[in-house]
Amino acid sequence: MNASAISLPHGHDGHSHGHDDGHHDGHHDGHGHHGPVLQYQPGLPLSRGKLIMWLFLSTEIMFFAALLGSYVVLRFGAPVWPKPHHVHLSEPIGAFNTFVLICSSVTIVLALEAARANKAGLAKLWMLLTLLLGTLFLGVKGYEYQAKFSHGIFPQAPRSRIYEKPDLYYGSAVRARLGEPAIIDKLKELDDTPADQLTAEQVSARMRLQQIRKMVTSPEQQAFDLAVVADQVMPLPTDGQGGSHGGGGDGESGGHGGHVSGLNDIFPWLKLPAVIPGGNMWASTYFLLTGFHAVHVLVGLIVFTILLGYKLGPKDAGKIENAGLYWHFVDLVWIFLFPLLYLF
Amino acid sequence: MSDHDVHSAHAHGPITRVGDIPTHDDHGHESGHDHGHGGIGKYLLVFLALCGLTTMSFLTYSSFWPWRDQPHVGWAFMMAVSCTKAMLVVLFFMHVFWEANWKYVLTIPAAMMAIFLALMLVPDVGMRTRMVSQERALHMARASDVRLMEQAAESKVLAEPAAH
Repeated sequence: MNASAISLPHGHDGHSHGHDDGHHDGHHDGHGHHGPVLQYQPGLPLSRGKLIMWLFLSTEIMFFAALLGSYVVLRFGAPVWPKPHHVHLSEPIGAFNTFVLICSSVTIVLALEAARANKAGLAKLWMLLTLLLGTLFLGVKGYEYQAKFSHGIFPQAPRSRIYEKPDLYYGSAVRARLGEPAIIDKLKELDDTPADQLTAEQVSARMRLQQIRKMVTSPEQQAFDLAVVADQVMPLPTDGQGGSHGGGGDGESGGHGGHVSGLNDIFPWLKLPAVIPGGNMWASTYFLLTGFHAVHVLVGLIVFTILLGYKLGPKDAGKIENAGLYWHFVDLVWIFLFPLLYLF
Repeated sequence: MSDHDVHSAHAHGPITRVGDIPTHDDHGHESGHDHGHGGIGKYLLVFLALCGLTTMSFLTYSSFWPWRDQPHVGWAFMMAVSCTKAMLVVLFFMHVFWEANWKYVLTIPAAMMAIFLALMLVPDVGMRTRMVSQERALHMARASDVRLMEQAAESKVLAEPAAH
């Protein structure tokens, strides 16, 4: 920047007071009489806060690039990767969340514009709206997490009920679950329930469950039997990615993403181990990526809450701009996360 | 010196666009520029473009997508759409379009390192299943497991008793 950057808020020109004693005032008493005048020149033509925010964002680019990069590399290096519907992802919900974040990006930009135009009330309104949209995003995310958890999809072993393949380990895990005292009681209760107290779906599921119980304990068990068991517990999604679900998906009761109901869906207390080939790696990457993103959203919401305590006039525009930069970055990450996680 | 610092904090007003600094030729020019790009109409236009692009990537999920049997087409399309969306957000919402040349100092190295970072993962992580121990091969999911489950789903071994 040029030397005039030092000029005072008194209507002086930068170069007029450098060598002209006639325009002397209080500010020049300490210096300016002899020798060269020291002048402040910023290294980069932007404010310190913004510079630091951009430096921080470039580290954030690296952070998410590492996460997204390892996800992509893990995913395409894996021999099998679950289809979005097999892990109960719902594309419309993901698209809705994308829309929510884009809206919140617009509202924060409008808050900044309002603050610059000295419309503090309007700026507050936009900021509040941004906060609400961010909260909505987190709420939807929480709902999605709940859908995973209810299907036994957790990132780690003690809670996770995902098995990679229908092998002997899977069979023994199913046997172990069916042998738990609480489940034995529940099964007995189910068996004793008269058929007219159950829906047609439950009756049919009860029949299949009884056969599965025989299959996993049978001494003549074969690999194919365990595949049948796995298919009954949590079926593979019906053909392909989407559209074809339109017909089949509507009829089912659960409605999570458009998969066929398995025994775990019909009897939620059953909680049998399920086979999702590639599902463990999927769960690790999914929860890591969306979890870190959600933490970033949460930090943004905290910043917005703090900012709401300010007047949000032109003086605070710098703060809003920096918070906005951060928020747009969070939006940016989701722009890549949505197709990579939900549509690939 | 502290006197100087106080002033210098104000002095780069034209750059910070704090807005509370009285008229000043540099600042005046800058803020004029500011209003030029800060138009709400432009933001709404970008917003509509983003919504349209999201709908486009969502299209690959719908039954209207003509290349359903070739997932790679959809992937390339979605990545192109995502990059376009990212560019729109960075350029207009983050104001990078109107920034001075310092933007390249930060963004280009970060972008290059990000790409290298992902590439460096390929040999060890991406190709991890090219050669695996027998032990590992026994326990990892393979395409044959998915086929087995598909066959199990088609066989309807258990459907028969449910029918009568």
